[in-house]
Amino acid sequence: MRALLCLGLLLVGAAATGVAAGPPAGGYPAWLENDRADKRFYRRGAYNFAVYGLKPLARDLNGVAVGHALAYEDLVTGKAAGLETRTYARIRAILANPPALMPDEAALSPTFGRRYGVLEQVFDWTHVLHAQTMDVLLSRKLSQAEKDREMVRLWEFYQRAPYAVTGLPLSMAYLDAQPYSGAFRRKYPKVNGLFWGYHWLQGTMYDAFYRVPPAEHAAGYALVGRRYHDVELHRTDRPFMPMAAETSPRFAQRFPEIANAFDNLHMLHDLVNDILATETFTEARRQEEIRRAIWLVSAAAHRGEQPVDAAEPASADPWHDHRHFAGMPGMGMMTGMTRDLMWMPEMGWMHMGDCHHCTMPLWEGKDAWRNPTVSAEGWSMRVRCALCARDMAAETKGSAILRLPTEDPDQLLIVYSDEQGNLRSSSPGALFLEEEASHAGCEHWSRAFTGRPAFDAFVAANPAFKTARPLTFTEWAERAGEKPDTYTKPVGPSANPYAGAEGRR
Amino acid sequence: MTRARKSAITLGLALAVAAAGPVGAVDHNNLDSGRPLKVEDAESIAFGEQALEVGLGLGLPRRRPLGLGLHAEYLNGLALNTHLSVGFEPRVGGRAGESDTRADFGDVSLGVFHNFNRETEKRPALAARADVVFPTGRHARGVGVRLRGIVSRHADQYGRLHLNADLFANPGAARGERQFVPGLTLGYSRPLGYPRHFDSTVVVEASVAGASARGAGPTATLGIGYRRQVTPRSVLDVGLQSDVAGGGPRDRLRLIFGYSTAF
Repeated sequence: MRALLCLGLLLVGAAATGVAAGPPAGGYPAWLENDRADKRFYRRGAYNFAVYGLKPLARDLNGVAVGHALAYEDLVTGKAAGLETRTYARIRAILANPPALMPDEAALSPTFGRRYGVLEQVFDWTHVLHAQTMDVLLSRKLSQAEKDREMVRLWEFYQRAPYAVTGLPLSMAYLDAQPYSGAFRRKYPKVNGLFWGYHWLQGTMYDAFYRVPPAEHAAGYALVGRRYHDVELHRTDRPFMPMAAETSPRFAQRFPEIANAFDNLHMLHDLVNDILATETFTEARRQEEIRRAIWLVSAAAHRGEQPVDAAEPASADPWHDHRHFAGMPGMGMMTGMTRDLMWMPEMGWMHMGDCHHCTMPLWEGKDAWRNPTVSAEGWSMRVRCALCARDMAAETKGSAILRLPTEDPDQLLIVYSDEQGNLRSSSPGALFLEEEASHAGCEHWSRAFTGRPAFDAFVAANPAFKTARPLTFTEWAERAGEKPDTYTKPVGPSANPYAGAEGRR
Repeated sequence: MTRARKSAITLGLALAVAAAGPVGAVDHNNLDSGRPLKVEDAESIAFGEQALEVGLGLGLPRRRPLGLGLHAEYLNGLALNTHLSVGFEPRVGGRAGESDTRADFGDVSLGVFHNFNRETEKRPALAARADVVFPTGRHARGVGVRLRGIVSRHADQYGRLHLNADLFANPGAARGERQFVPGLTLGYSRPLGYPRHFDSTVVVEASVAGASARGAGPTATLGIGYRRQVTPRSVLDVGLQSDVAGGGPRDRLRLIFGYSTAF
């Protein structure tokens, strides 16, 4: 009776969410039903395994692989009842002391692999993209320009496999409204928290190292890693999985396809978790739903489609809604949000194309590198000027990392803020311009420079600042600006777009 | 001992010791023939992958001096689920069934390995390989062909069984030697250290291989080996084999050290 009731609810849910996506007219493509191994080697490059130059991160990522695999294996070998207790404890022990070398996930979850082999191919291949993009960012052998070029090549290489995940923004609102959505997080909140903690790390690490000088990698990861272990792995209060653009907006702006692919991969994890946690499904139904979930996020299913930068979706089918947030091509639409306004639990409503401190438009296009970022409390935000970054960090609890562009796109100035708000930088020779005025022009009057020649050159080219005195890092760090005159708090369509989401299901 | 007999023995040893070539990506839990035992699993290396696998074998044949052999193989994953291999086996010192202890370049083999399917819930992983063995060794005669069928499937949650069925054909074999020599190897592999360590695999095997000389009985061999991941793309292995019974030439003990790397 209970099973029938659940089945009925699922069918109603499917109808309500317009779940029409399924096999194409001629059936699924052959790769989606193959029983071949079809292993592909990663792209060759001098940067491969550069992550091992930053051992704490390498070990944490190795732990992520174990965590994924052990949970999946226990889920499919009759140990689901102990997932929140025994499995959780086992995974936590490994995450606290992760392996030095990346384990083979397929060997850790052999039962899962035999049962869902194509899914494993999708996971593995996109995890290779994760690993190689991180190696590129951490490489000490490539210049910044070479890294940018290699990132594009890696994306092209990744797409050659038939089981690649699409780089288009997908509607997370739609994908997370499947009849079974939410089952895993409701039933296994602690293990789901681990999964979302892994995905937080896999998102956050991109801005932690993108264009960041190698000398700063260890110090930056000391903060990120601490946050990961102390907070993010324990969280069970997230309304949704961490998104790439929420944790690495600079990277997501520059490489939106890669950011979208990672979000879509992580959503595939959520879909699969929910399918496996839905007890009313028979094994045959699970196989079918997992096949369909892969198809939903696959590149093959969206071939020829384009991202949409418009208020209205180009397609009435929510599965093919490829809108992204205004100002952020690397993020698909989320539940209850609009193209112009995105919501985060810690920040409320915001416009992703505006500075989160002064509400003025961020740099765009080829100048997007000029946007500083602030990472704190588990999020990363782009702002418009050095003052906005400093003051936003000061207004935030806990430690923070500020990434301030200078006059040289390849010379990012990294500033760390401790729990008390004290700032330090490993580039003490940096100078600052800060002639505070209306934030309508803050991108001009608040800037960081690598040194005196760059400061003088800027002043010479901008006579309005000819009387400006360069500030040393210490002088600049002690300052605090006025509340931006341009700041307006965006008002969204609801107080919390996730409120009642559980009820709707 | 006739040259023909020595040639046949050389080829027989190729079957018994090197038997086919490595397989699988360079990872501790992928089993490659010769690294360190005879048994191999049914997985090919990845498309686009290249690997170099080198092993040093120390043999203690009955009533012969100590012998040293190198087994080196280059693999190229030229297509999905398929790789090519080139191998050679120089050696020096004593070996079972031969009085010659001079250095010998050994035979060169050229092989192709193809995996038909991965293991699913319904069927095991299946693969086949074929190697052409060129008689470049000191006493070798005739071009041989080595065929191997491979089946791999799980035995328990983490352990796997591997069955390798071999047939070595040498139409140019001398009189008194068999033109067809069969062999069968059963192996079991299991990762060690779960859930604390994820870098080691132990493998055991039992095999029976026909003797190349007509009238001689088959040789039974037991082996135990260990593979350990030492870097993200390299594995060290160590193995011990002993020909425990049989009517053909036998090694009391073979100690093998190997190294594999992918690039």
